[in-house]
This record gives sequence, structure tokens and C-alpha cells, in this order.
Amino acid sequence: MSFLQILLQLAGGVGYTIMVTVACSLTGVVVGLGVAMLSRIGPPWLRGLLGAFTFIFRAVPVLVLLFIVFFGLPNAGLRVPPLVAMMLSLGVIAGAYLAEVFRGAFDSVDASEVLAAEAMGLSRFQILRLIEIPQMLRFAVPGMINEFTTVLKYSPFAYTVGIPDVMKEAMSLSATTLRGVEIYLAVGIIYFLIYKLLVTGVWALEKRTRIPGLTG
Amino acid sequence: MTLLSVQDLKLEYDGRIILDGVSFDLAQGELKVIMGPSGSGKSTLLRCLNRLATPTGGRVVFEGRDVLGPGVDERALRQRIGFVFQNFALYRHLTALQNVTLALRHLRRMPAAEADERALRQLARMDMQAHAHKYPAQLSGGQKQRVAIARALAMDPAVLFFDEPTSALDPLMSREVVNILHQLRDERVSMLCVTHDLYLARAAGGRVMFLDEGRIHAEGEVDELFGPNADPRVRAFFHQELRQAQTAPPIDVAQPMDQAQPAGPSGPAGLAER
Repeated sequence: MSFLQILLQLAGGVGYTIMVTVACSLTGVVVGLGVAMLSRIGPPWLRGLLGAFTFIFRAVPVLVLLFIVFFGLPNAGLRVPPLVAMMLSLGVIAGAYLAEVFRGAFDSVDASEVLAAEAMGLSRFQILRLIEIPQMLRFAVPGMINEFTTVLKYSPFAYTVGIPDVMKEAMSLSATTLRGVEIYLAVGIIYFLIYKLLVTGVWALEKRTRIPGLTG
Repeated sequence: MTLLSVQDLKLEYDGRIILDGVSFDLAQGELKVIMGPSGSGKSTLLRCLNRLATPTGGRVVFEGRDVLGPGVDERALRQRIGFVFQNFALYRHLTALQNVTLALRHLRRMPAAEADERALRQLARMDMQAHAHKYPAQLSGGQKQRVAIARALAMDPAVLFFDEPTSALDPLMSREVVNILHQLRDERVSMLCVTHDLYLARAAGGRVMFLDEGRIHAEGEVDELFGPNADPRVRAFFHQELRQAQTAPPIDVAQPMDQAQPAGPSGPAGLAER
């Protein structure tokens, strides 16, 4: 079995790896955006609660939360499909980190613009939607890429709940061929290529929406 | 006809008295300048009038209605008052045109074409129609200020508030702002302008009030206020400003303002490490 054949064999799992990464990243963006927005405009008690959420979920290991969700929730009568379990663990943890990224990016929005919008008679929610979020998302691109990359690199945990991703393919292949070194080298190359694709994609999107003088 | 009447306005914050019984009237179509040193409470005074700040006492009557009472629709009030900030406060992610249409689109719910047409008229009034599709970072300081004024005028406000409109501009561009004030005064736009810029206070040509330590100490036409019988406080302020102007390094008027300003943030602070 040549190295190329190994790569082709593993490629069968690429779709699942990408699916897990995209699903968990999107969950992270939704959770992170929700938390960051509510902490910005919500009452102090809610801010405290959301602060506790980010604190706790940044501390819990992904695998621990994944097992709690996947093996623990069925005991409570809730059967969770593998992908949903990944979204509720890796995705939510990514959300806690992204909430921090978004908080920092929100703080980069010029306070005088928010004041001007208030003086104009816009509501707090309109200011958030029309002024703060469009700028914040642009400031947050580098931090978001960081987080998406982390999600990609945690995605192999998907094999522990039965998703046949690249890692799962590699383990089966390694068990039958006993050529572990070559196989895991191939796995490394595949992850690098997915990483490159992800980063190129996000920067291309950033470039298309770039505004002169706003970011770098 | 009185448009705005301020009576015994007081504001205390953290045990400090910021405004100590300010009273004045602004008539329809009048331009009034409130002059005073930094920290005299000028900007806070403006902010009390559209309820960006909450005074602790006094009365403000605007267009015949008590502005400070309970049950006042703050957002409706603010839409009647155009506000021009010292640092322009243009929305950096929007073009000049989009800056002007924002309120029309989202507060007046105007269709895009109608809002664009109306915004372009306001930009033309400020001689800025050629720059409608530029972003704030691509405009000079004076041009930004013109867009900010067009933005404030777009909603047809009853009055324009100017908060230190020249403090971020060099002398040449300050003259532009004075020209705009004269143009708007000729169009009978009611305006209230706070400044510590002596040049602006004198050149604007309206009635001038001198505010210091939260109180109005003198009020009159430019010549009375700055004349031989001037209030000692006004005279002290005048001399101090003059001394500063003489010791300040010369300003290169050929250099566009935005080149002198520090670059904006390029990324967020507080990225979490895992």
C-alpha cells in the first residue's frame, strides 16, 4: 500500500472532519455572539451569570464535556446524536472562548460612535445591530481564525462517539496494516490542508468585506 | 419665538457640582455660542438638553414641552436635535452617504432611494456630494466635519448642537466650520455651539455666553463680551488662551488632519489563550 493509497483511504473521513469542524465553529459563533451581545446590553446580574458561563466552559476539558453529554444525558432520558454531542461540547466551549474574542472586539468600537448613535435617537438594539456588530466582527477576524483552528484540532474527539472522521479511518487502517507512522503522517498532512483551506477561506471573506481605515 | 428655554439647570455628580444653575433661552433661528474653559461644564450642558446626561435640578422646555419630566420619549426628543461632535464621530464602517442615510432608513423607515436622494441633497448643501461614497478614513478632518453636519441636518432637526466643532481641526479648517455656521445661520437654522475656541466664539457672530465652573458669568454680543468692560473671568480666560496660542508650535495647515491622527485599532484586545 503506497503513501498515496493511504492518503486516498483517509480522504473518506475528510468530509466528516470538515462537517464536525464547521458545525462546532458555527455553534461557537452563535453562542459567543449571544453571550457577548447580552453581556454588552444586559443587566448586571445577567452579565455576572454569563461571566460565570464563560469561566466554567473555558475550564472544562472538551473530552470530559463530550462524555458527559454523550454518555450522561441518555441516563436522564435524552439520547443525543454524535454530531449534536460534539456541538454541545466542543461547540459550546468554542462559544465561551469566542465570547471573549467578541468582547475584546466590541471594546475596540469607538465609544464616540455609540454616543453619536444614541444622540441620533437610535435604540440600544439598533446601535448594536447597525454600528457595533458590523465593526466588531471585522475586528474579531484574527481571534475567530484562532478559535476555528482550535476547533479543527479538537475535532478528532468525534471518533470517540462514533463519527467516522479522518482520525477514525486512520485508527482502523493502522490496526489492519500496522503502518502507524506513515498513516499518522498522512493524517497530519490532511489536517494541515484543511487548516490551510479554512484560513484562506476566512481571510478571503475578510478581504471582500474590508473597509478602508477600519482594520489593518 | 423661544425654541429652547433652560431654567436654573443643575447637575451634581459624585458630590461635585458640574452645572450650578444655568439659565438661557434660544430663539427660533438664533445662533448662540457657549464659551468657556475646559471642564467648565459646556459639553455636559449640551448633553443634559437631549438627555444623554440627567440633570439633578432645573427645567428645560424645548418646542413648548418639558424635556426633563417623566414620560418624555427620549428617542423622539433626540431625533429633533442634530448633534455634531468634536471628533466627528462618523461611523467608520459606513460611507459618507450611508452615515447620512442611517437615521432616515432606520428611524424614518424611508425607502433606500428616497433616503439616498435626501442625503445627497444634504451632502451637496455641505459641498460634499463628490465624496459621498468615500469612507471616513478617506476624508480630511474638515470633510469629516461637513459629513457630520450633513448627517445631523438630514433628519430636519429643530436645532443643531455643536460640541467643540473646531477642537480637532487646524486653523484653516476651523475657518471652514465658521463659514458653515454662517451659511446655516443665513438659512435660519437654530444652533447652539459650545466651544473653548476664542476664534470660533468671535467669528461665529452669535450671542456669546461665558460659562465657568458651571455658571454663566457673562452674556452679550461679541464686542461687549470681549470689549474693555469685559468680566474679569472672561478677561483671564482670554489672556490664558492667547498665551497658549502664542506658545503653541506652528501648525502645518497643508497637512491633512487624518495623517496626524493615530491609526485605529487593528484587532481586538483580550484574545484568550488556550
